[in-house]
Amino acid sequence: MNAIDQDHRAPVLSVRGLVKRFGSVTALEGIDLDINENEVLGIVGDNGAGKSTFLALLTGYHHPDSGEFRYRGHPVRITSPARTRRALGIEMVYQDLAMAPDLSVWENLFLGEEIKRFGILSSRRAMRARAGEVLAQMNTKIRPEWQLGQLSGGERQLVAIARGLLFDRDIILLDEPTAAISVAKADDVLNTIGDLHKRGKTVVLISHRLEDVLAVCTRIAVFVTGRVAQVLDNRDLTIADLIHAMFGGAADRQRAQWERRQQPGTR
Amino acid sequence: MTGISSAPAPSPYRQSLPALLGRAAGQEGSVRRPIAFLIGAGIIATLITHDFIRGSNLNELLISSSFLVVLSVGEAFVILVGSIDLGVESLMASFGMLAAWLTVFHGVPTGPALLGTMVGAVILGALVGLLVAKVHIPSFVVTLGTYWGFQGVALLTNGGSYISPSSVTPARPFGFAVLADSTLGVSNLIIVAVGVTVVAQLVITFTPLGAWLKSIGSNELAARRVGLRADALKVLVFAVSAGLAALAGIMMTAYQGSIYPTTGQGDSLEAIAAVILGGIPFTGGRGTVVGAALGALLIGIINDIIVLLGLPALYEYIFVAAVLVVAGLQARGGFLVK
Repeated sequence: MNAIDQDHRAPVLSVRGLVKRFGSVTALEGIDLDINENEVLGIVGDNGAGKSTFLALLTGYHHPDSGEFRYRGHPVRITSPARTRRALGIEMVYQDLAMAPDLSVWENLFLGEEIKRFGILSSRRAMRARAGEVLAQMNTKIRPEWQLGQLSGGERQLVAIARGLLFDRDIILLDEPTAAISVAKADDVLNTIGDLHKRGKTVVLISHRLEDVLAVCTRIAVFVTGRVAQVLDNRDLTIADLIHAMFGGAADRQRAQWERRQQPGTR
Repeated sequence: MTGISSAPAPSPYRQSLPALLGRAAGQEGSVRRPIAFLIGAGIIATLITHDFIRGSNLNELLISSSFLVVLSVGEAFVILVGSIDLGVESLMASFGMLAAWLTVFHGVPTGPALLGTMVGAVILGALVGLLVAKVHIPSFVVTLGTYWGFQGVALLTNGGSYISPSSVTPARPFGFAVLADSTLGVSNLIIVAVGVTVVAQLVITFTPLGAWLKSIGSNELAARRVGLRADALKVLVFAVSAGLAALAGIMMTAYQGSIYPTTGQGDSLEAIAAVILGGIPFTGGRGTVVGAALGALLIGIINDIIVLLGLPALYEYIFVAAVLVVAGLQARGGFLVK
């Protein structure tokens, strides 16, 4: 789908030295991370650790102050969400889903990338049919002509993920996919993520629901105040391990500071 | 109009009578509601006076509604994206006066005069759109400015006086007066109004533009995230609104044989009421242009009833107020007041 030379041994996306500031706040202090083909990479960390900012940079919604991206080994500039979707095959599923509640499911799925005849006429029937196909592939009962605003949170989440399948995007980014949904629907979403993995897609997801992260992810990157503190393979990992990785460093530093203050003469 | 339907299995919370009535009349945004209102108004009008249903009266009704229909179509574009255009009545008066002024006082041939007027209006509308989209001044404020400013322009054009062919000697007729003639027995004004409505609705339904405009009204952030150029689209809708306001002004000038600076007073709010009645919520995001046109027709019927009953024209304001309240209630969905 793109003309970039592809080195298939390289990670599908690589990030080096990514820095992002918002005014006086530094959200990312130099992120180095590889995203490998067909993995499910989880990103965990405390609030404010920079997880959402990182995804926003990957999708082109914000631009980094410094750092570089590589797509399959080849340096790229990530400029805008629209171009990222088309050129790099990255589909971003936002926490607030970025969909219009007044429009139908199929109108939302094709928004901005409509199937057209003669360049300007919408092929409504074709879009509706294609949307129906993808929804059926995902094993949901959602029909393309339903109004999006009337769907439950979980159903909307599935529709948002469907956009990635619809346009055959290879890299799917998810920001808190199970945060605002019922437990039952969360299972549907997790199963869908598993499906994406089976279809050969690469998935990156942010979640504070550590049990969900452990359920679907193959690797987990731990963000701590704007840096990648650790990257763990999901082998026999427990929630306690993750929590320690997210906060343990800080707790250890605080304890070391406290111990130092207990030494006489160090004030 | 197809494309959207309700998900089945209504929740247990939505079985009240007002909600059921609301569902029967079609969901918010569908064109069934204005049609229902229109039929209801037509029946009431006929009951009030049999003169209503006479061919000549219906013809007059359609002709006198044609200007508001054209204004409402333009307003519909603006409200669909969640903005508002309060200035359309002043643009109608000003650009109607401009066309008359060019033709009568300066002998500009009809073609260039109309073209210049329309182009001028579209450029002005685009400027309004830029102020809203790029400078981030709320549309309410910008178009309140055009409402006042262009009322002034209309008044200043001929020293506060009207313009007609006999404003100069020897009299110079409006070349575009042909707009008020008939083709095959139907007034050209009706043809233009219907044509504008149909073309606008076809564009909204059968090109991606409709979904784009609605997405901005529904969730602008989402629209931007998928890469839509929301700023350019906002500029477009204000350009359309201004252009159609100018067209309505030209139509009015042709119809009356003269144009007054105070033409169309109150029409901005009637156009907005028509759009809301037609099914586009105040925040935009859904609805049809045809609905807005039907809403304009509904207001025309109300005005017609007032005339037929011999009531003073002041009653129009009260009735439009009532219509607006009803429109506001039904736009909330199912007559529930929040």
